[in-house]
Amino acid sequence: MESHDSSRRSLFHAFAAVVAAAASPLGWAEISRAIDHAHAAGQIGTTGNTSFLTAAEAADVEAVAAQIIPSDDSPGAREAGVVHFIDRALATFLSQLAADYRTQLATFRSSYRERYPGTDSFASLTADQQIEHLRRTDQTPFFATTHLLTMLGMFTLPSYGGNRDSVGWKLIGFEDAHAFYPPFGYYDRAYPGFAAEPEIK
Amino acid sequence: MRSQTYRDSELVDFVIVGSGAAGGVIARELSQAGMTVVVLEQGPRISPQTRRHDELADWYLGGFTNDAVKNPQTFRNRADKQAAVQKFKPALWYGRAVGGASLHYTANFWRFHEIDFIERSVLGAIPNTGFADWPITYADLEPYYTKVEWEIGVSGLAGASPFDPPRTKPYPMPPLPVKSSGVLFERGARKLGWHPVPAPMAINSQPYRGRAACVHCGFCHGFACEVFAKASTLTTVIPEAEATGKCEVRPESYVFRIETNKQGRVTGASYFDRDRRERSQRARAVVVCANGAETPRLLLMSANSQFPNGLANSSGLVGKYLMFNSNTRALGVFEHELNEYKSVQVTRILHDFYDSDPKRGHYGGGGLDARIGPQPTTWAIRTATEGPPWGSAFKARLKEFPRSMQVACHGTSLPIESNNITLDPALKDAWGLPAIRATYEDHPDDLATARFLQDRGAEILEAAGALRVTKAPITAQTSSVHLLGTCRMGNSPATSVVDRYHRSHDVPNLFICDGSSLVTSGRGQPTMTIQALAFRAGEHIAHFAKRGEI
Repeated sequence: MESHDSSRRSLFHAFAAVVAAAASPLGWAEISRAIDHAHAAGQIGTTGNTSFLTAAEAADVEAVAAQIIPSDDSPGAREAGVVHFIDRALATFLSQLAADYRTQLATFRSSYRERYPGTDSFASLTADQQIEHLRRTDQTPFFATTHLLTMLGMFTLPSYGGNRDSVGWKLIGFEDAHAFYPPFGYYDRAYPGFAAEPEIK
Repeated sequence: MRSQTYRDSELVDFVIVGSGAAGGVIARELSQAGMTVVVLEQGPRISPQTRRHDELADWYLGGFTNDAVKNPQTFRNRADKQAAVQKFKPALWYGRAVGGASLHYTANFWRFHEIDFIERSVLGAIPNTGFADWPITYADLEPYYTKVEWEIGVSGLAGASPFDPPRTKPYPMPPLPVKSSGVLFERGARKLGWHPVPAPMAINSQPYRGRAACVHCGFCHGFACEVFAKASTLTTVIPEAEATGKCEVRPESYVFRIETNKQGRVTGASYFDRDRRERSQRARAVVVCANGAETPRLLLMSANSQFPNGLANSSGLVGKYLMFNSNTRALGVFEHELNEYKSVQVTRILHDFYDSDPKRGHYGGGGLDARIGPQPTTWAIRTATEGPPWGSAFKARLKEFPRSMQVACHGTSLPIESNNITLDPALKDAWGLPAIRATYEDHPDDLATARFLQDRGAEILEAAGALRVTKAPITAQTSSVHLLGTCRMGNSPATSVVDRYHRSHDVPNLFICDGSSLVTSGRGQPTMTIQALAFRAGEHIAHFAKRGEI
């Protein structure tokens, strides 16, 4: 439990570092406008081609994302197209993260090559090897950045390139609708109405 | 409808700096009283109906709030520490658009209680704090609380809470429909002998004053209401102000200095327009409603040879006594789905622990409410910091989203002089103006109160039959959306910045009304009180103007 807590804390701090790095040089308002432009131009696509990551980088990033939210009896980050979101984000509305991320990714690639000599692709490691290696590296800036981008790619609007077919929302049971009507859940179905308690004092 | 416009050179009765919860209300009150008014707002005028439930744009990329790059801030917990630049979300987060934070707030609208205004007299002094009574009482403010409920529009059930202060009218609308979190909260709290009640919310439960009823889409907290059911000043009092033909709301007008003359009176405000041209609007009086961070910053930036420590700052208290309200939560997972992502955040609250109780061994009290909090992306990011952060165990936790709720706990913050807003000596914003430097460290009693309230929240979840209850770690706060106390009200010019009518003690035609006016923090949910103060201030300031006393 103790070691688990410390890994949580470290991940949290790593998030903070990523988030701090994410700010420059574009202002968030500009980023927001860039997103709107990208929408208007229909640029945020879901094709197999990447625009920032190389094919080899994309394969590794996808493999890491797929360990963060694995595919099992339900779709995970792979099916959500998280890697396409990440590639798009780094090429456009989060381009200020791109240079740092490429460096972080290079460090990560060296780390598994060193541990598994002769390997040139994280994706080609067995699932157990991948998990074992991520346990050793899940407090690095690379992992924190990939984690944050995976969450954004899994759960934000599908129009940004991830969360394909809303698989992220389906996974957690979220429905995006303009309106809902009561009852909203199981426990408010048979609510008899509010009755005030007797006066206190 | 086209609203009035004025030239900079025209002498208007009032310039109001800021169009948020307070500025919007005062603009309406003054313009309806026949005054000519120009509202200068930093941010743009957005169209809420065009928003798209977009967590990425509106929450993660800044949306219509202050921008960490263009409006940077530094933060430290003590004055002897180096203040760190806040590069992502600023430490002090506020609305930067017409409507201010009333666009993206949660809209919890409970009133402060009688005790909040006289707590220092009742409890006695607290060493090393600025704990003080207000110069007004609950009774002074009651008519204006009622005015907020009827003019802004609040849904609720009068008489439900045995702890509620006296009121002169019921709410204009019945409470919003209860959610599963509200039912469970009520069930758990009643088992413990406590008094959960329907939450008062500034969200329409039925059509009201030309605005639609809530459609329960779930995007309140951090988002602008697309159907206008949540009451922002952008969709309530500001259109009413403009309809008088007396009021111009000028967006993207960033005030950097309040101008003064040799007589020590204000003469208007200088600002950058959207093209970053320096302009200056003349006015007979100025009302600053720029929020608890930007208001003291503007007064400090307005220093000149006549007012070397900043405008209205002979007490030295401009920017001091910053209060955030403590906040924490207990999380519960239940057997069946609640679907808390639907509808308004909060449908039940509880005030059994509102008052301070010496038996607890520390000062403080608070209110509890039932909610989930985040929408999907924030749920996922938060879940990663509160359990296994990746892999199948993480995925399993993510799936608990529809079966989860939290009890959110809102508590007191003591006013401490060393918690404050100052001008950063080095960092500038994109306009070349000094950045806000925030210094803040929770008082030990505030953290003890947070822990006490969180324990009660966890007990409610247990009593309601949660399968699992967890408590989020309680740590010192390093950010807030509640920006309170930095130009406090009071009777003495030596110990306060504004008087009981929000007139600055030092400058007779300068008024200040927003979160900065609060003397004590209340127990969270300050916007209702800020707006009651604004209705009261607007009425008095209009009287002063008519009597030639500005």
